[in-house]
Amino acid sequence: MPRLVIDDLQIEVPEGTKVIEAAERLGIMIPRFCYHKALGSAGACRMCAVKFIHGPFKGLQMSCMIDAQDGMVVSTTDEEAVAFRRQVIEWLMMNHPHDCPVCDEGGQCLLQDETVSGGHGLRRYPGRKRTYHDQYLGEFIAHEMNRCIHCYRCSRFYQDFAGYRDLGPMQIANRVYFGRFRDGPLESPFAGNLVDICPTGVYTDRSSRYKARRWDLQRVPFLCIHCSLGCSTVASARYREVVRIEARFNESVNGHFICDRGRFAYPYANLADRPRRARVDGEDASLAEAVRAASGRLDQISMNAGPDAVALVASDRCSLETLAVLKRISREKGWRHPAVFPRPDLEHKTRRAVSRLDRRLAVSMRELESADFILAVGIDPVHEAPMLALALRQAFREDAGIVVMDPRPVSAPFDFDHVAIAPAEIGGCLSRITEALSALQADSAAQGKETRRPEAAGPLRADLDSRIAGIVERLRGSRNPVIVCGTDIVRDSTPDRAADLARLLLQLKARPCLFFVLPGPNSFGAVLLAESPGRSFSDVVQDIEQGKVKALLVVESDPFKNFPDRERLERALDRLDLLAAMDYLPTSVVGRAHIVLPTCTVFECGGSFINQEGRVQRVEPVHEGGIPVHQVSGGGHPPRVFSHEVPGGEIEAAWRTALEVAGYTNARDNLSILKIMAEEHPGFARCRDIPTSRSFRVLPDAGDRPPVCEETGDRAAPEAADTLEVVLVDRFFGTEELSGYSPVIQNADSEPLVFLHVRDAEPLGIAHSDWISIALEGGGLEVRAGVSAQMAEGVLVIPRHRLLEWQKLGPVPAQIPFGRISRAGKE
Amino acid sequence: MAKEESSIAKTAAEMVKGLAGSYAVTLKHLFRKPITEQYPEYKKPLPARSRGRIILTVDPDGDERCVACYLCSAVCPTSCISMESRERDDGRRHAAWFRINFARCIYCGLCEEACPTLAIQLTPDFEFCKDDILKFVYEKEDLLVNHGGRNQEYNFYRHAGLSEKGEKGTHINEKPPVDVKSNMP
Repeated sequence: MPRLVIDDLQIEVPEGTKVIEAAERLGIMIPRFCYHKALGSAGACRMCAVKFIHGPFKGLQMSCMIDAQDGMVVSTTDEEAVAFRRQVIEWLMMNHPHDCPVCDEGGQCLLQDETVSGGHGLRRYPGRKRTYHDQYLGEFIAHEMNRCIHCYRCSRFYQDFAGYRDLGPMQIANRVYFGRFRDGPLESPFAGNLVDICPTGVYTDRSSRYKARRWDLQRVPFLCIHCSLGCSTVASARYREVVRIEARFNESVNGHFICDRGRFAYPYANLADRPRRARVDGEDASLAEAVRAASGRLDQISMNAGPDAVALVASDRCSLETLAVLKRISREKGWRHPAVFPRPDLEHKTRRAVSRLDRRLAVSMRELESADFILAVGIDPVHEAPMLALALRQAFREDAGIVVMDPRPVSAPFDFDHVAIAPAEIGGCLSRITEALSALQADSAAQGKETRRPEAAGPLRADLDSRIAGIVERLRGSRNPVIVCGTDIVRDSTPDRAADLARLLLQLKARPCLFFVLPGPNSFGAVLLAESPGRSFSDVVQDIEQGKVKALLVVESDPFKNFPDRERLERALDRLDLLAAMDYLPTSVVGRAHIVLPTCTVFECGGSFINQEGRVQRVEPVHEGGIPVHQVSGGGHPPRVFSHEVPGGEIEAAWRTALEVAGYTNARDNLSILKIMAEEHPGFARCRDIPTSRSFRVLPDAGDRPPVCEETGDRAAPEAADTLEVVLVDRFFGTEELSGYSPVIQNADSEPLVFLHVRDAEPLGIAHSDWISIALEGGGLEVRAGVSAQMAEGVLVIPRHRLLEWQKLGPVPAQIPFGRISRAGKE
Repeated sequence: MAKEESSIAKTAAEMVKGLAGSYAVTLKHLFRKPITEQYPEYKKPLPARSRGRIILTVDPDGDERCVACYLCSAVCPTSCISMESRERDDGRRHAAWFRINFARCIYCGLCEEACPTLAIQLTPDFEFCKDDILKFVYEKEDLLVNHGGRNQEYNFYRHAGLSEKGEKGTHINEKPPVDVKSNMP
């Protein structure tokens, strides 16, 4: 550990630490533009010059390029260094345009800060400024190349860190240009990070273009709820409107960056058609009146038809507070326990995944980056958990081997071996890997032999056998393997089988090695709070049809989005005596509900969420709620008369309104909710002791044993050769509920494609991007086909896209005969 | 005794002198031109830089100069300026609304000093009485004038180099844009 002196302060740092980093640990911020902790050093900007007084280096050197070494004495305030840095700033400003007033970076600009702190105020150079043409880089990012100072951060992030190739440097010397070869949307789903990473205003956020200055914003450390990973963000609001989301550094979750879905999904909170007024039977009402109406009618129905006739529906975007309150009131009122998951299989898989995860097994996303072999099963990282793809990319950059076992045409910013097999085969493959590995282990323990090949079990293909053998070998040879397992498309038993393999690896390697991806931001919490066995929404629909359920209270959930049979759902909802909806989105359920109780988004009331590794993360509200000022005023100036009441400000968090509906009027403060949470699950008791800014994991020391009975009701692989198995999947944009409401994401989204394998498409005469029609009982679906050779055969991959009315298909069958799929005449 | 008498005489002489002097001044001013202005019948023209009511000026093209950069509202010591910036349909940055509460304003002129586009300017108009305090709240339409104020020439967008107003490389002191696909130096 080298020990060095910086500005008369001594510090000991790990080997390989740069001097600039060592100084930062002492609290000395050496000015920099090109150096970034995640991207490393480039030595491009010359801004971090310091004077080396003693030690192996002497004189003026770039502190980002030199490793801290023993005996160094460094001065950051030496006259020569200060003069040099002042000179550098003046050079950088030679070509920088005079446009700070109309630049969105103004007020949060590193170049601005360092120009001011360097004391450079007047331009001495009389020559002309260099200019560039700008490019259209898509709906998310505005490009203004005149402002560039050539620090190379953008290309280093975009190409090296994130692994996409379509943005980079061109030209030489003073003419270097950062952009694409020609105009067009950036291909990377992480491109939004260019906004954060650019030290000046070359890349700015188009979604918040010209909306506010940093110093005016209400900024709060926040949490992303657009997938199960729970990345850290900073949310900013102004005039009751959320205007910007930025990435926040989190050591154990997302590192420095976030994905574009997390960054640009926020406009759902600002929608003009968000439910802001309570409604009773189509008439506007005050929140108190609507709560009274809901409360009265629910009580009436539970009195007449029994409390069992009232069912609660929630979703995995509900906060932990809401879920805990719903559990409490359903228990005390005798109502049906909230159904959180749309399908029973999703509920089952999430439950299995959560119960098998424990402290020794769970890997955080940052730990994943240091794995040397990763087996990802049943997951398309970019689409289901985008930041996972970036984490895998970092592992890949450190030479980790990655195998993805998935039927979809997976594309990711790293090289991987794609084992394209149908969902039904994944579990079998995992079991065989586990068996082979444990057999090898037993052999080598008994006789020191390591030559036994895994035996082919079952009717799987021969090439698959060799690939499985390869995976077993690589698992054996790796120091730190990790199993990543999705829960969306896999069969019911697959999470268990992944956990079995992870347990074995834990025995062999003594390192945590299991990473699940769950269906939604709070799926983990929903399962912790669920009764066992849990009920899904499809059970509720069945009970409505049988007349057992008369009233439905839908809390922050849109069954229309997820329920696979729209007509059946509509018929069922029409049978209800009471449909009450609590939501902050203008969903279809809100549109048809008898009683609408608007609620706050997480930006307005905060909340707790548990991510896929069991990490409880809590956030405070960003602003107090209410209708955004520019919506109240219709774009003009706000009302001139002062009022104590905020328009739309009576809306409360879902858990408060739910408590009120249930008749608990005196338990609605923040302390009582912590108490309720702790009572509903002992793991949440720590919420009371730990400040909101800190997260903690609710994981048992040892997870469930493997289930005694291995027999699960897995759906078998399609037997008949003339059918395709339907796999409904998530997509980066368009399938996640909240981001689907964001206009900027709607504009940026591309057309959804239904994928099938080349060998399945050829006999049907379907080529890539042809229109096809899929005929079913519930009607037809016309959609563009994607034809790929990089996917499993016998599978039809349909995204649950907002524009694709897959719910209209009727009860989506597991299999579709080839005869039902044909080329459509549409062009 | 004689000493006493001489001191009394001296004092008397001083008194007479003082009286006569001040009468003389009064007498002199009786025949001078008066400097009192008959306000409000007569309004004296004030220096152009005196600090009174605030206006928002326009650039030589006739478009509003304000780009809603928030510097004036940031610097305002009484927080009497508020606005909301937006992107106008033509891509230009502008204030969707802009409000100055003159009931709070102390006419310090810091906003004018901070303004990078010379949009906000203080005028010599200092007479500011209203019968209702709400009438002191001026909106953008009340503040906008149709001239450039003290500087008729300055046009921020001629210097800023944004493509919203004029092609790249055509603004003041700019080189033609770099052709990134050419190898010529």
